[in-house]
Amino acid sequence: MKTRKNTFHLFSLLLLVSMVLAACAPAATEAPAPATEAPAADPMADLVAAAKAEGTLTTIALPHDWCNYGEVIETFKAKYGLEVNELNPDAGSGDEIEAIKANKDNPGPQAPDVIDVGFAFGPSSKAEGLIQPYKVSTWDSIPDDAKDAEGYWYGDYYGVLSFLVNTDVQPDVPQDWADLLDPKYNGQIALSGDPRTSNQAIQSVFASALANGGSLDDAQAGLDFFAQLNAAGNLVPLIANTGLVATGEVAVRITWDYNALSAIDTFEGNPTAEVVVPASGRFAGVYVQAISAYAPHPNAAKLWMEFLYSDEGQNLWLKGYCHPIREGDMRERGVIPADLLAKLPDVSGAVFPTVAQLDAAKLLITENWDAAVGADIQAAPAP
Amino acid sequence: MAQSSLSLPRVKEPSSLKNWLGVTPFFLFAILFIALPSIYLVQGSFLNGEGQFTLQNYVDLFTTPLIVEAYKLSIQISAATAIGGGIFGFLLAYSITVGGLPRRLRSALITFSGVASNFAGVPLAFAFIATLGRRGFLTLMLKDNFNIDLYQSGFDLYTFWGLTAIYMFFQFPLMVLVMVPALDGLKREWREAAENLGATYSQYWTRIAFPILLPSILGSMILLFGNAFGAYATAYALTGGRLGIVTIQIGAQIRGDVLHNPGLGYAMAMGMVIIMAVSLAIYSWLQKVSERWLQ
Amino acid sequence: MNLEKRKFRFWSWAWFVLGAIYFIVPLYATLRHSLRMERDVIGFKAYVRAFEDADFWETFLLSNALAVATIIASVILIVPTAYWIRLRLPQARRITEFITLLPFVIPAIILVFGLIRTYSSPIGIPFTGIEFFQPLTTTKLGTYALITAGYMVLAMPYMYRSVDTGMRTVDIRTLTEAAQSLGAGWFTIVTQVILPNVRSALLSGALLTFAIVVGEVTLASFLGVDAFGPYLFLIGQHRAYEPAALSFVTFLLTWVAMGLIQLSTGGQGQAAGAH
Repeated sequence: MKTRKNTFHLFSLLLLVSMVLAACAPAATEAPAPATEAPAADPMADLVAAAKAEGTLTTIALPHDWCNYGEVIETFKAKYGLEVNELNPDAGSGDEIEAIKANKDNPGPQAPDVIDVGFAFGPSSKAEGLIQPYKVSTWDSIPDDAKDAEGYWYGDYYGVLSFLVNTDVQPDVPQDWADLLDPKYNGQIALSGDPRTSNQAIQSVFASALANGGSLDDAQAGLDFFAQLNAAGNLVPLIANTGLVATGEVAVRITWDYNALSAIDTFEGNPTAEVVVPASGRFAGVYVQAISAYAPHPNAAKLWMEFLYSDEGQNLWLKGYCHPIREGDMRERGVIPADLLAKLPDVSGAVFPTVAQLDAAKLLITENWDAAVGADIQAAPAP
Repeated sequence: MAQSSLSLPRVKEPSSLKNWLGVTPFFLFAILFIALPSIYLVQGSFLNGEGQFTLQNYVDLFTTPLIVEAYKLSIQISAATAIGGGIFGFLLAYSITVGGLPRRLRSALITFSGVASNFAGVPLAFAFIATLGRRGFLTLMLKDNFNIDLYQSGFDLYTFWGLTAIYMFFQFPLMVLVMVPALDGLKREWREAAENLGATYSQYWTRIAFPILLPSILGSMILLFGNAFGAYATAYALTGGRLGIVTIQIGAQIRGDVLHNPGLGYAMAMGMVIIMAVSLAIYSWLQKVSERWLQ
Repeated sequence: MNLEKRKFRFWSWAWFVLGAIYFIVPLYATLRHSLRMERDVIGFKAYVRAFEDADFWETFLLSNALAVATIIASVILIVPTAYWIRLRLPQARRITEFITLLPFVIPAIILVFGLIRTYSSPIGIPFTGIEFFQPLTTTKLGTYALITAGYMVLAMPYMYRSVDTGMRTVDIRTLTEAAQSLGAGWFTIVTQVILPNVRSALLSGALLTFAIVVGEVTLASFLGVDAFGPYLFLIGQHRAYEPAALSFVTFLLTWVAMGLIQLSTGGQGQAAGAH
C-alpha cells in the first residue's frame, strides 16, 4: 500500500518536473524546413541566426485587416520561428512615434522595434533621431522618390483614398468629394482617425483640398471643406473603423481603398457595402517602414524588413489590396500573380504628393484643425 | 504555550516588535506597489523639465485650458451621475425595502446590482452602442414607431449625456447596494411612534426618515462621484479617447508626452488623487455619522 | 392608512419597473445584435466566430491565469496578515484598513501610471550606482509579475474585507489556542485551521477578484499585456457582431460569478465599482 502511494507521488513528481522543464525549454526550435528562400549570401543566414537569438519582434499599429498584415505576421512567424509581440494595432502614426519616444530607456515588450507610418512621418522621425538606417537586400528596386537616400525610411505600399459605404444604411453612394455635402448624408460621414495625429485622417483632409479648389501645395481648401462638412452636421466626430461601418453607426467612412476592400471581405454580405474612389481628388498615400533607433531587437527588425521587401512579403501585401512599392520591378520580372492584380480598383489619375508637400500639409492640418473645424466637435480643445 | 486559557484575555506579548514582523509582507507589498508609485508621481509633479523643485505644475493645472476643460468635464459627468444615480438608486432601494415589494424581487435586484455594478468598461460601452447608437435598437425603434429622431434632436451617445446615461448602469446598482442596508436600518418602531403621535406619511419622511438617512445618502452619492471620476475604460471604449475627461487625458499622457511636460502630467494625476481622497474622506465621515442611527 | 400603503406600493412598482427597463433594454439590444450576424437569420454565427478565434482563447486563458495568480497571491498575502492582526496586533488594524482603502483613492489609470514610471527603470538606491533589480518591464515575466501586483492592489479592498468579515464570525483565538495545544506550528494553523474556516468568505473575495481581473482593460493595455480586456476592445474596432456576442457572454460570466458569491455568502452582493 505504501509503495503504491510512493509510486503515485513519484509519478506525479516526475510529471510535474517534466512539465516545468517543457515550459522552461528554450524558444521553439523549428523543424529544419527546406529554405523557401535560398539565402542569397551569408549575411542573410547570419541575420536569421542573430534574429532567432533575439527571439521576438515587437510591432505596433499593424491591424490584421490592414494590407493583410494578419497573414504577413503569421507567415513571418512560421518562416523564422520568431514570436511577434503586437502592440496597439489601432495606433495612428503619431502614436507610433510617441511610443518610441516614451520607451527610449525601456528595452521591454512595450518598446516597438519597427514602425509603419505615413510618408511625412518618415523625415520627421529621422530629424528627431528616432529611427536607424537599414538598406534591405532589394533596396535598389524601391523607387528613389519613395525612400530616404541614407536608408532611414523606405516606402512599403500605397493606396488611394476612397469612400467605404454601408449600402444597407445608405444606398445612395457618393461618387465624389462634393457629394458628401449633400444633406442626405447628415450624421453619416467619418474620418478614420484623429486629424491631429493619424496619417490617414490628415491625408483625407489634404485629398479633399484637391477637389475643393486647392492643390497639392495648398491644403487650406481641405480644412475649409471639412469645416463645411462639420457645420452641415454631415461629419460625425468619431474615429470610424470597420466595426462602426459594419454596425452602420458610420455609413460613409473615408479610408484607404485597401482598407475598404478588406472591410467588405470581412462583412461577408452583412451588411452590403461598396467602395468608391472619388471621381476627382484622387489621392495616393504612401506609407513607410523604419526601424526604431532604440529597438530592443534590431536584428529581428532587420529580418522583418528583409521579409517585407522580398517578393513573398510584397505579394502578401498585394493580397491585402495594397500596391506594393516594388510593384514596378516585380511586374517586369513577372512575379506578380495576375488574379491579385485584377482585384485592385482603377486608380488612374491619382496624384502622389512629394515629401515637401506632405510636410507642409501635415503642419497646416494638424495645427489648424481645431481652430478651423474642431470648434464644434466634442473633442479635446487644443493645448 | 500559555497553560491558563480560561476566561482571562491573553496578555499581549512584550516582544511587540516580533509581532510587527508578522505583517511585514503586507506592508512591504503596500510600500512596493502602492506607496512607491504614488511617491514617484507626487515627486514628479513637483519637478520641472530640468529636475528642479517647482510649484509651477500645480499652477499650470489651473491655467492650461486643456486641463481645466478636462477637469470641468469630468466633474460635470461625475456630479451628474452621482446626483442622478443617487436619486434613482435611492428610489430603487426604497422600492424593495420600505416600499414593500415582494422579497423575491428584492433578492433579484440585489443580485443583479452586484452583477451590474461590475459590468463596466468595454462590454458596457458596446451594449449601449447597440442600444442608443445611431443604428441602435432603441434609436431605430423610436424612429420607426414613434417618429422620434433622437440624433436630430441633439442627443448623441458619444458625448456628455451619452456617457452619463451609460455610467448610470453601474451607478444605480452601487447606490442600491449601499442604501439597502441603510434603509433596512430604519426601525419600524420609529414609523409607528410617529404615527401614534399623529404624523402623516410625508411628515414622517421629511422630519424623521430623511434626516436620519441624509448622511447615508450624501455619503453614497459622494462614493458614486468618486466612482465615476476614476472611470477610464468605459469612456475610452466609447469614444476612442475623443472625450476629453481627465482619465483619458492622463491615459494619453502615459502613452506619450502629449502635454510636453511630464511634471504637468504628474500634477494632473495628483489633482485627481486629491479629489478622490477628499471624496473618500467625506464619505467615511458621513458613514460614521449615519452609523450612529442606523446600526 | 390602507390607502397610503396602496399608494406607495404603486410607486415602488413604478420605480422598480423603470429600473428593470433601463437595465434590461441594453442587455436585450446586445443579445439581439449578436444573433443577427447572418442576413435575415437569427443564429449563433457571431458566437461561433467569436469562439473560433485563436486570439480569443489565448487572451481569455491568459486573463484567467492572471486572475488565478492574483487570487493565490492575494490569499497568501492577506489571510495571514488579517489573521495576525486579529490575533496579535490590533494596533495595526487602523493602518491596515487605511491601506486597503487606498486603491479607491488611486484609480486604475493612476496606478498604472505610477507602476509604469516606477518599474520601467532599474530599482536601486538612488544617486548611487547600486541596482537591485532590472526594470520589471524588461521581460515578459516581469511584466506579468507587475500586472499581477497591480491586480492585487485593485482587488485588495474586496479581498481584505471579505477575509476580515469571514474571520470575524470565527473564533480565531480559541481555534488557535486549541491548535497550539495540540502542537501545531504557525504554518499548520494558518493553512489547516484558519483557511478552511474562512472558505466561503475567501470564495466571495476570489470570485470578485476573478470578475475584476478578467474584465480589466486599463492595466493590461498600458502594460502591453495580451489580456482579454484589450482583445475585446480590439475586436470592437474591427467587427460588428462578435463584440456583441462576447459582451453578452461577459455579462453572463459576471452573473455566474456573482451568483456563486451569493450562494456562498447568502448575503448582500458586493460592488466593485467602475473601471
